[in-house]
Amino acid sequence: MMTSLFSRRPALALLGLGLSLGLSAGLAGCQADIAAPTASAGPLDFTSYVAVGNSLTAGYSDGGLYNESIATSYPALLAQQFAATGKGPASFVQPSFSAARKDGSGYLKLLAAGGQLGPVAPGPANQFLGELVAYTGGVLAGSGQPQLEPYAGAQPDNLGVPGISVLSSVSALTLNMAPYGIINPFYERLLTAAEKPTKDYVTYIGQKNPTFFTCWMGSNDVLGFATAGGVVAAGNPFGGLTDTTRFGIGYRAIVQTISKNGTVKGAVANIPNVTSLPYFTTVPVATVIAGIKASTPTASLYIRTGTNTVREATSADLLTLTARSIIGTPSTTAGNPFPVGVGLGTAAGQSNPLPSEFVLDAAEITAVVNRTNDLNGIIAKTALRFKVPVADMNVFFTGIAQRSIATNAVSNTTAYVTGNLFGLDGVHPTPRGYAIVANEWVRVINAYYGANIGTVDANLYRGILFP
Amino acid sequence: MQVKSVLLTGAALLAATSGALASGFQINLAAQKNIGMGHTGTGLYLDAASQFFNPGALVFAPGGFLIGGGAAFPRIAFRNEFGTAEQRTLQNKAVYPFSAYASFGPKDGKFKLGLAAYTPFGSELHYAQGWEGRYALTDITLQSVFVQGTASVAITPQLSVGAGLVMLAYGNVDLQRDVPIQGQGAANPLHAQLSGTADRKFGYNLGVMFKPSDKLSVGISYRSAIDATVSGGDVTLTNVPTSAAANFTATKFTATLPLPSTASIGIGVRPTDKLTLALDANLVSWSVYQSLDLTYSGGVLGGRPSSTSKRQYTDALAFRAGAQYKVTDKFTVRGGAFYDQACVPDGFITPETPDADRYGLTTGFSYAIGQRFGVDGSFLFENFMQRSQSQADLVTNGTTDRVAGTYKTNVLVPGIGVYVNF
Repeated sequence: MMTSLFSRRPALALLGLGLSLGLSAGLAGCQADIAAPTASAGPLDFTSYVAVGNSLTAGYSDGGLYNESIATSYPALLAQQFAATGKGPASFVQPSFSAARKDGSGYLKLLAAGGQLGPVAPGPANQFLGELVAYTGGVLAGSGQPQLEPYAGAQPDNLGVPGISVLSSVSALTLNMAPYGIINPFYERLLTAAEKPTKDYVTYIGQKNPTFFTCWMGSNDVLGFATAGGVVAAGNPFGGLTDTTRFGIGYRAIVQTISKNGTVKGAVANIPNVTSLPYFTTVPVATVIAGIKASTPTASLYIRTGTNTVREATSADLLTLTARSIIGTPSTTAGNPFPVGVGLGTAAGQSNPLPSEFVLDAAEITAVVNRTNDLNGIIAKTALRFKVPVADMNVFFTGIAQRSIATNAVSNTTAYVTGNLFGLDGVHPTPRGYAIVANEWVRVINAYYGANIGTVDANLYRGILFP
Repeated sequence: MQVKSVLLTGAALLAATSGALASGFQINLAAQKNIGMGHTGTGLYLDAASQFFNPGALVFAPGGFLIGGGAAFPRIAFRNEFGTAEQRTLQNKAVYPFSAYASFGPKDGKFKLGLAAYTPFGSELHYAQGWEGRYALTDITLQSVFVQGTASVAITPQLSVGAGLVMLAYGNVDLQRDVPIQGQGAANPLHAQLSGTADRKFGYNLGVMFKPSDKLSVGISYRSAIDATVSGGDVTLTNVPTSAAANFTATKFTATLPLPSTASIGIGVRPTDKLTLALDANLVSWSVYQSLDLTYSGGVLGGRPSSTSKRQYTDALAFRAGAQYKVTDKFTVRGGAFYDQACVPDGFITPETPDADRYGLTTGFSYAIGQRFGVDGSFLFENFMQRSQSQADLVTNGTTDRVAGTYKTNVLVPGIGVYVNF
């Protein structure tokens, strides 16, 4: 029927043919296209990119260093973005653990235990949660900390060492009395037997010949003091707030060394405000007091301050994440039946105060914030001297804490667990958080050097995974 | 470090959870002859499809029956703001708008009655697996079928009026997106699907045609807005981690999608017996669509009983021009063009409606096979302007529940229809 119709009406047949041909051709060529932006390194050469820093640089997350977290360290993400400019690095070496011990130091897991959801730390008692940890069974001579499997490869490009501070990077600052290679297991595993007692971090990073570097040092010069509630353990030379004099000497030495006295281009980042970390914001004083008053209206939360006075907690004090499991636990003081719980009381004298190590009291907060600002001032001046930009992570994270940050329709906040950005230790970012950190580095490097390095899709990197 | 309980409020996770019905989702493909002429028709009286374009013109149009349909092939490209990921495209699928019109009246031409069914709104987009905007939208299907009964009266041989009673006879929505919460060991994040059918609703359209001579006709028409309400739609959640299940208990949702009114003015000119020229302007009152609000029942979604997502559409104008030329008694060709303003303001573009100013080119033909019977064909090409929004724009507007980047869309629509004149 159709055939005869067409054959008798050539005009229509031709038109139909034309339409169908045009249609198939049109459909094939119809896909809309958007020109791809070109990544450019500008004046930069990433052939040998080296990252100097602490746990944040190493990729430490969820209270541990392990291969999965190392793989999503911000230097690894930066190296990947740098490579997209065509100016290399061909490979970016990180000090991963061997495959059979891929879980390194072990890491916290979010588990539902007894109906309660919470982070669980790996340990001998729980068979390390099935994690393939890299402990050798030995301990470090300088600290008694458990030894980790040595890193056997060539000196890595990611030189991040969890725990290291500016103070502990330069042996001379502690009069060579605290050799870091026998104190910190993450540093010890990178060194040869001969280097361990002698080689400090500033010497170690001087062995590299980068074409571009990043340096994010200084957090541990205030963080350790803060997370310990302002309590410095006896015998720990690195547990306090580093003074500005020694920080200045150490920081300048580090940047001078890695920048080859200002001849190598790079970027540095400053110290975030540690008091906005979920480690300090997850257990608000007001909530704890409200909980206490709900059962005992006359009672409240009492703390022991850094100056050894006992007083009622106020909203100007910050409680550590660890305080949550301490507050309200029964008193162990003999002959003190009331109040029964740690931190609970009705008056300063009538209480079993929360120990100082679980509280960053108002005076300690002021000290930490002021010292952070002082040290950031030194970082800014040093950057100027060596002609590198500063990624202002202090302002960046404060902004996120106040306003959150959206990544491709996902809202990320600094809230513990639900916020996506911070891991289960409440201090270190998740892979998502590290991706956002990497993007901030990229923004600063692009702006300063006139490069056009692309950012990563942060959503490709996980936040917290739920059981 | 055992924290006794972690509050999974998840509010932030899901602030945007369901922000996605569609818009800019008007389908201007009401009838084959009109498509061929740039979708003009307010000032014309071609056939029974005047019921859609201007019910006042129906009485002047030849009575008859026509039915037609097309296949719309949207081709969307997206690049993330920072352009580091590959260009994203749709899993290409077609949408099939259709229409049918019948009209009849007495020989003296004093009045005509008509019946119509058409699909004025709809959308179907399936984005590539794992694309950057998956937490805003992965898939959307929006379908609507309107039916209309029309009466048109010639007050004088020059002036006619008409009115139609319009019913949203069938409406269907299916929205899907990923939710940024993922289980340990799960390959994919939580996925939410909201699907349901719209309640039947009534609206109307009105039109006037003034035809001082056979060479000139002028029409105005108005089509009312209809609120498409889905009440008791189904919420389907997959990949919900056990520990988060208490925050994802919703089973039903309710939402209202305003379908905007359209006011049109058109003019038809016939300088010769063979040539017809038409100009149309439409004002679509998209500003009725300010936000997409979803209310959940049976539980919560992301710990919340409802959600809202900003739309803040603005009224949009469209200008259309078309011509038809009767080559022979049997064969008529058509051509047209249009320019259609975006209704989605800058910084508010959502993946469900990557709206932009666009122009279109159309062509078409009719072939009369007998005295009463014929075939209509049309072809429409629509080219959207490339359009970008930055994350900074989204932050400024409070619209971070969508993605920053650049969209570019082309649409091709071949169509075919048949008609019978009584």
